[in-house]
Amino acid sequence: MNKENQIFLRKEGDIIIVDIKGDITAQSEPFIFNAYQKIEDFEKILFNFDESAYINSGGIAIIIFILAKASKKNQVIYMSGLSDHFKKIFHMVGITKYSKIYSTELEALKDF
Amino acid sequence: MNIEEITLILPNKIGIERVARECSSSYAKILGFEASKIEDIKTAVTEACLNAIEHGNRGDIKAKVSVNMGFDGRGLIISVRDEGKGILHKVKKPNIDYKIKGLEKIRGFGIFLIENLMDKVSFEKSDENGHIVKMVKYLE
Repeated sequence: MNKENQIFLRKEGDIIIVDIKGDITAQSEPFIFNAYQKIEDFEKILFNFDESAYINSGGIAIIIFILAKASKKNQVIYMSGLSDHFKKIFHMVGITKYSKIYSTELEALKDF
Repeated sequence: MNIEEITLILPNKIGIERVARECSSSYAKILGFEASKIEDIKTAVTEACLNAIEHGNRGDIKAKVSVNMGFDGRGLIISVRDEGKGILHKVKKPNIDYKIKGLEKIRGFGIFLIENLMDKVSFEKSDENGHIVKMVKYLE
């Protein structure tokens, strides 16, 4: 019932941008983990979400799992594209302690 | 607008929570809730339904999830009922630091989100079979 996520990887200098299309739920796990495996050697990563994406607690868990892996590798992960509601949710659950959140990709790229 | 109480009877299947989410959004919009409160309601309803499907009904495909929505003049009252054990106990507040360090299981944000996004939340045993999560979001 969950549409598959489409994930595209782009490079901007030494930053890898991960464009995640679609909703983020527990069913997104294989798509996000597969994308992360391809970028595990990068130090600077930007997760760029769909503003219309629906993210539930299963999706939040996947993001925290990636942040946990990234913290062990000293990777820096920033996020952009989230709606105001999910910015609030990410702040509420504490994700903002481990990842800065920006309104736009450009703002995030400038701050790396 | 005078709006009737509505009830959805949903199959116990992951993904079907989207139906309850969209329905609660339309219902809240008709009642005149502001956009940010509608988003809060959508997330809370989603998480309550996921809990009912995964934990209450424990994935039983024969079980149902009932979602009831009504308005008492002050707030939108939403009840999500499972047919299983439900969650009656207070769940420990999730700790992001512990999760990042691998000291706490990664999942477990559903109840936390419901309690933080809605104005009033209670967990009750149903008169019929199952348990109910009752949530209220006030219009003002």
